[in-house]
Amino acid sequence: MKITFFDIENWREIGATLSRNKTRTMLTAFGIFWGTAMLAMLLGGEKGLERKLRSNFDGFATNFAMVDPGRRSMSYQGFNKGSSWIMTTHDAENLRRGIPEISAVAECEEINDVNVTNGLKSTTAYIRGISPEYFDVFLPDLYYGRFINETDEAASHKVCVLGKQISEKIYGTESPVGKYVSLGGIYYRVVGMAGQTSEVQIRGSKVDEQVLLPMSTMRRSFNLGDNIGGLMILFRDKVSPTSLQSRVERILRTRHPIHPDDHNAVFFFDISEQFAMVDHLFDGVTLLALFVGVSSLVAGIIGVGNIMWVIVKERTNEIGIRRAIGAKPADIVTQILSEGVALTFVSGVAGISFATAVLAVASRTVGPGFDLTFANAMAIVVTFLILGTAAGFVPAIKAMKIKPIEAINDR
Amino acid sequence: MIKLKNVNKTYPGAVPLHVLKDINLHIDRGELVSIMGASGSGKSTLLNILGILDTYDTGEYWLDGVLIRNLGENRAAELRNRMIGFVFQSFNLISYKDALDNVALPLFYQGVSRRKRRMLAMEQLERLGLADRAHHLPAELSGGQKQRVAIARSLITRPSIILADEPTGALDSHTSKEVMQIFRQLNAEQGMTIVIVTHDPGVGEQTNRVIRIVDGQIEKQGE
Repeated sequence: MKITFFDIENWREIGATLSRNKTRTMLTAFGIFWGTAMLAMLLGGEKGLERKLRSNFDGFATNFAMVDPGRRSMSYQGFNKGSSWIMTTHDAENLRRGIPEISAVAECEEINDVNVTNGLKSTTAYIRGISPEYFDVFLPDLYYGRFINETDEAASHKVCVLGKQISEKIYGTESPVGKYVSLGGIYYRVVGMAGQTSEVQIRGSKVDEQVLLPMSTMRRSFNLGDNIGGLMILFRDKVSPTSLQSRVERILRTRHPIHPDDHNAVFFFDISEQFAMVDHLFDGVTLLALFVGVSSLVAGIIGVGNIMWVIVKERTNEIGIRRAIGAKPADIVTQILSEGVALTFVSGVAGISFATAVLAVASRTVGPGFDLTFANAMAIVVTFLILGTAAGFVPAIKAMKIKPIEAINDR
Repeated sequence: MIKLKNVNKTYPGAVPLHVLKDINLHIDRGELVSIMGASGSGKSTLLNILGILDTYDTGEYWLDGVLIRNLGENRAAELRNRMIGFVFQSFNLISYKDALDNVALPLFYQGVSRRKRRMLAMEQLERLGLADRAHHLPAELSGGQKQRVAIARSLITRPSIILADEPTGALDSHTSKEVMQIFRQLNAEQGMTIVIVTHDPGVGEQTNRVIRIVDGQIEKQGE
C-alpha cells in the first residue's frame, strides 16, 4: 500500500482544513497548548519548590531527635512540680550503651552573650560546646581550617571554630585559622571557620553567629562540671526516633528523679517527623500537580476528539467524493488522524516551549531547580501524541464508515 | 465493456423493496449511452451498481472483463479509481482546492508524484479549455466550468468508462448543450465509453442509444 501520510498533499490538506475555521482551530490548539504547558510547569515548578524547601535542611541528618531537660509536670521524690533538672555526660554515656539503635549521641551546651575579642575588635557570640558526634547530626559548611575532632575532645584542647559572621566582625575577610581569640577572657586557638546556608536553627541560633568549642573544654572553662545542656541523638537508619522515646526517657530516669508518667520533664523533639512532614507535603503537591496537569491534558484531548468529530461531520460530503474517486478507507483514516496528530504536535510543542520559558524565568528569580528534564518534556509530548491519536481515532473510524453514495446524496 | 446478467437488487426493510429485477444489459466499448427513467424507476440504483458504489444481490456484473462481485472496500476503491470516471449533477468538487488540485486528486490516491499529477491535470484542463481557470476555486467558476472541471477529473485516470449522473441537471440549457457537446466529442474522438443517467429527453436524444428503465426492469435496450 502506498503511504499517503508522507505525501505533501496530505500536509497541504491538513493546513487547508485546519485553517478553514481559524478561530475553532486556535481554541482547540490553545486547549492542548495550555494542557501541556500546565503539566510541564507543574512538574518542573514542583521540583523547584521541593528543592528550595529541602535546601533549608542542607547539612542535616534526617533521623535524629533533640533531647533536652524540661520542667517536671508532676511532683516526685521531694521535687516539686515545675522544678528543673540538669543532664550530665553520664546520661549521654548511658544512652550510648543502653540503646543499640542509637548510632551517635552528641552533647551540647551553650552560653549566650560571651565577649569575643581580637585585640581591639570585639563582639558577642553564642558559645556552643559540642562533642565531635555533633557533626554526624549536622555538618555545617567549612570555609577555613577544620572542625573540632576526637582528640580536641579527649584532651580538652583550647581550640575553637568561629562562625562566619563572628570571624568577619573581628578578623575582617582574612582567615582566622591559627589566630588566638579571647572568649570571656580566656584565649583559644582558632582551628576553623564555618557557616550554614540552610535556614534551620538548632537550639536557637545559626552556626554563623556561634563559636564552637570541644564539650570537655567548655565544661572546664566555664566550670560546668559534668553538666551539659542537652543531647542530639542520631538513630540508625529506618529506626523511628519516636518509637524509642520511652526507652530514652527510662534511661534518663535511672539517674534523675522523674515520675514515670511525667512525659513533660523530658523534652523530646523528633526531627525525622519534620522531614516526614515535608516528604508528605511534597507527595501531596506532586499528586496535586499531576491531577491538575492530567486534568488539563484530558480536557485538551477531549477538545481534539471533539473538533475531529465536528470536522468529520462537516466533511461527510467531501469524504464521500474522495471515496467515490478512489480513496481507500485507510486513506481517509490517515487523513483524519494526521490532522489530529498535527494539531496536537504543534500546540503540544508550543506548550512545552512556553513552560520551559516560564520555568527558566522562575529559575533566574526564585532559585535553581525550576526545570523540566528533556525526558519529562518528551514524555509529555509523546503522551499527548498518543492520546491525540486515540482521540482522533473514533472520528476517523466514523469517517471511514462513510459510504460514498450516502455522502454524495447528502447535499 | 459492461455486461449485466440477471442482476437483482432488493433493499431490505419492513416491506422489502425490489428495485432491480433481472436486469440484463450490454454496453460495448466506445458507446455513448443514456439510461432514462422516472424517479423511483431504479436508475440511480443501477448507476450505483455500475459505479461499484453499491452491491447487488444476485446475478453477474462484468466491467471491462472484471467480475464485480463481493469486493472488499479497498478493492472496490481501487477499481473505482482506475476504471470509472464519475461526473455528478452537483459537480462534487472539493471546495477548498483549486481546479488543478481537484482534477489531480484521483492520481493522489494512486500514489502518483505531485509534480506528475499536476502536469497531467494541467494537460486535461487545457484539453477542456480551462487552462486559465486552473488556479481558481470552485466557488469562482461558473456552473459549466465546474462541470468541465469535474469531467477533467473523471478523465485523468484514463478510465474504462465515464458514468455521468444527471450531468446537466444543475445547468441552464445553453451550458447543458456545451457539456453534452464535450461528451459527444470525447466519445467520437477518443472512443470513450460514456453512460449518462438522466430523465431529460433532450439529453437522451444526443446519445447514440437510449436504455429505458421502468419499475426496475429494462423496457428497451435501444439498438
